[in-house]
Amino acid sequence: MSLLEDMDPAGGSDDIVAAEYVLGVQSGEERQMVAARIENEQAFARLVDGWDSYFAPLGAAYVEVTAPISVKSAVDRRLFAAETASVAPRESSSGPLSSLVFWRGLAAAVLAALMVYIALPYLRSSAPSTGERLVASLVADGSGVSYLAFYDDRTNEVGLSRLTGEPSSGRDFELWVIQGQQPPLSLGVIPAGRTATLPVADPIRQKVVSGALFAISDEPAGGSTTGLPTGPVVAAGDLKPI
Amino acid sequence: MALRRVHRAMTQDITKLIVRVSMKDRAAFDALYRATSAKLFGVCLRIVNNRGESEEALQEIFIKIWTKADRFAVSDLSPMSWLIAIARNHAIDVIRARKPAATDIVAALDVADPAPGPEALTVAGGERERIYGCLGELETDRAAAVRGAYIEGDSYTELAERFDVPLNTMRTWLRRSLMKLKECLER
Repeated sequence: MSLLEDMDPAGGSDDIVAAEYVLGVQSGEERQMVAARIENEQAFARLVDGWDSYFAPLGAAYVEVTAPISVKSAVDRRLFAAETASVAPRESSSGPLSSLVFWRGLAAAVLAALMVYIALPYLRSSAPSTGERLVASLVADGSGVSYLAFYDDRTNEVGLSRLTGEPSSGRDFELWVIQGQQPPLSLGVIPAGRTATLPVADPIRQKVVSGALFAISDEPAGGSTTGLPTGPVVAAGDLKPI
Repeated sequence: MALRRVHRAMTQDITKLIVRVSMKDRAAFDALYRATSAKLFGVCLRIVNNRGESEEALQEIFIKIWTKADRFAVSDLSPMSWLIAIARNHAIDVIRARKPAATDIVAALDVADPAPGPEALTVAGGERERIYGCLGELETDRAAAVRGAYIEGDSYTELAERFDVPLNTMRTWLRRSLMKLKECLER
C-alpha cells in the first residue's frame, strides 16, 4: 500500500474505489468526487466500466415495470419542446446584438412558415410518396383473422376492412407499422366494426410506405400500454402500391 | 415470413438504437425508450423505493441517455449494461442526496487497503456470468452485502447497520470481498 493510495480521499486503490462506486456504497460526496474522476481520467473510467461489466449479470434481479406514459411525454417536453420554442427567447435575453439575431431569426421563421403554408398543397403533390396508394392483405396462419388494409397518402388515413375474425371480448386489435429492422409503431386500436379508418399521425406517416409491414396484434382493451405489441400478432402483410 | 419479421423488429439491436440516438435520431430515441424503459424503471423502483421519485429519476435517466449517448461508443460495456449503469448511478445519487448520510470521508482515510493489489488490473471481458460463481466463493453474509449493495444501492452506513458492525469494519469487509472477487473473476 503506497503513501499515495493512503492519501486518496476516497480510500483504497483506484480499482477498489471504482468497485465501490459501481456498487454504490459510497456517500454522496465521495460519489461526486469519483464521478468527476470518471469524467477526467480515462484509465479510471475503464476500471469503472470493468466492474460494471462484472456486476452486470446481477442486474437480472431488476424486474421490468412499465412506466406511466407521463414520463416519456415529460422527457420529450424537456428535450424537444425547449429545442424548438426556446431558441428565440434565449438569444433575445442577452444584449442588443443577439437581440438583432433574434429578430432576424424570427422574421426568417415567419417567412419560412408562410412559404410552407403557401407551398404545402404543391409540396404534397410533388413529394416522392405523394398520392401513393397502398394496399396490404393481412393474414396469419391459424389465427382466423384477416383484414384488408388500404392507405391513401392524400387523405392520410388507413382504411381497414375486416374479412374474418374478431377480438374476443375485453380485447382489442391494434394496428402497427414496421419498417425494416425498426421497432413497430402503433397506428392505434382498430375501431370495432366491419370497416374502420385510422388517421395516421405525422411522424408515423413516413413509415407507411411501400415495402413496410402492417401487423395486427391482440391487445387488452384500449391497446398496448407499453408502446410495443404485447399480445400475439394475429395478422400481418406487406404494403404494396396499387 | 411476415411474423418472423415482426419478431426480428421487436428484438432489434439496442446498440444500433443507442448509436442512432447519439446522432440525435428521435425515432431511435422513442424506440430505445419503448424497448428499455420498463427495465430501467425497475432499477429506479428497486433503488429509490418510491414511485413518484422513481418516475422523476426515469425522466432524468432518459435525458442523460439522450445527451450522453455518444459516450457509449467509448465504453467497454454491453448496451444494456451501459443503460443500467446510467440508471443505477442516477438512482443511487438520488437516494444519497435524499438522506444526507454522515460524511464518512474521514473514516475512509483511516482504513487501509485490505490487500496490496497489482496497480494496473486489467479488465477482461470474459464470461460475464462468472460473478455468480465468484460471489459463491465468498462467505455468505459478505456475498449478501455485495449483492445488496449492487441491487438496492445500500451505502456503507446502511450495510454497517444491517450487519450490526462498525462502519470501518464494514468497509474492510467489503473491500476484502471486492479484492477476492476480482481475483476470482480474473482467474
